[in-house]
Amino acid sequence: MHELSLAMEVVDLASREASGNNINNILSIRIEIGDICGVDADVFRSALEIASHHSILEHAEIEIIRTPGKAICRECTGEVLVTELLSVCPRCGIIPEIITGGKEFRVLSMLAE
Amino acid sequence: MCETCGCGQPGEYTIHIPGDEKINEQSHDHIYEHPHPHLHTHGHSDKREMKVIEVNRDILSENNLMAERNRGFFEGLNASCYNLVSSPGSGKTSILEKTITGLGKIKKIFVIEGDQQSSMDAERIKKAGAPAIQINTGTACHLDARMVNQALKKLEIARDSLVLIENVGNLVCPALFDLGENKRVVVISVTEGDDKPLKYPYMFASAHLCLINKIDLLPYVDFNMNKAIDFAIKVNHHLEFIEISAKTGEGMQKWFSWIG
Repeated sequence: MHELSLAMEVVDLASREASGNNINNILSIRIEIGDICGVDADVFRSALEIASHHSILEHAEIEIIRTPGKAICRECTGEVLVTELLSVCPRCGIIPEIITGGKEFRVLSMLAE
Repeated sequence: MCETCGCGQPGEYTIHIPGDEKINEQSHDHIYEHPHPHLHTHGHSDKREMKVIEVNRDILSENNLMAERNRGFFEGLNASCYNLVSSPGSGKTSILEKTITGLGKIKKIFVIEGDQQSSMDAERIKKAGAPAIQINTGTACHLDARMVNQALKKLEIARDSLVLIENVGNLVCPALFDLGENKRVVVISVTEGDDKPLKYPYMFASAHLCLINKIDLLPYVDFNMNKAIDFAIKVNHHLEFIEISAKTGEGMQKWFSWIG
């Protein structure tokens, strides 16, 4: 449910960038969502579609780039792909603690006219 | 109307001291100036000029910047701030009431209450003897740093005091929102099930202390304390634990020492 608050932040962010750059219309927006950032990408997309009504993003194509979760296991010091916070290292069976990727949640760029 | 949760309007929250008039706050005031981002211009033969605007901005950056302002405010007053998070019904308000009774004579305590609606929690805190301010989020499911910032302006926090924030009852959304606290306290009660940490890992991963409340009910529920602690450590090996009963007072001295 926090996806809706966050979608509203994106609409605000887009409005600010638009007014600062003399933009009339945003054609597309690229957003990066990491697999373990705590935000569900599908729910966020739906939330953004709703939050965009009557805003500068109303007609924008929403492009979501997913980045994989990565962490380093303290036992084997190998890098592990993690799909969720409780994923375990396949070699050691423990949860790798040092997260090195997948927590991104940001607006990358917008295409505007 | 929101298809996900049924809410309708963009965020409008209220902040008030129990007994005072409610003041509506807009949740989206523009505080920060942004430097103009890098622009590319693409020429097109149909004369519509399209531009790529590089943004590269963390969506939570506004909240995080405001949280740091709150943090600085607390530091300036040598005040400590704790953000209490949990499911609804874990006993957060009772814990705060007992904390005010137990510590209120040696430490000035201020409370920020967060709920969707109603001032009942802030009224309870006031009755217990501490200044309280109520944030009603309306439809939002978590407090954010901006709401807390507005509340702090109305609360007149004293030097060297203890500021306790009772977040909206929700083990999911508050995990992402830094409020500017020193430490985050996740509260679970023994009636909720020992697998809670596995079900809500983001919240447990973001916390510093886990308070396990209602231990007076242990004889009547299937709650395995060791399992619950093990699960929580799996998610966050830095987590500390204190077992308490706000009702009987058991363990409360340890909690007072931790925050005092």
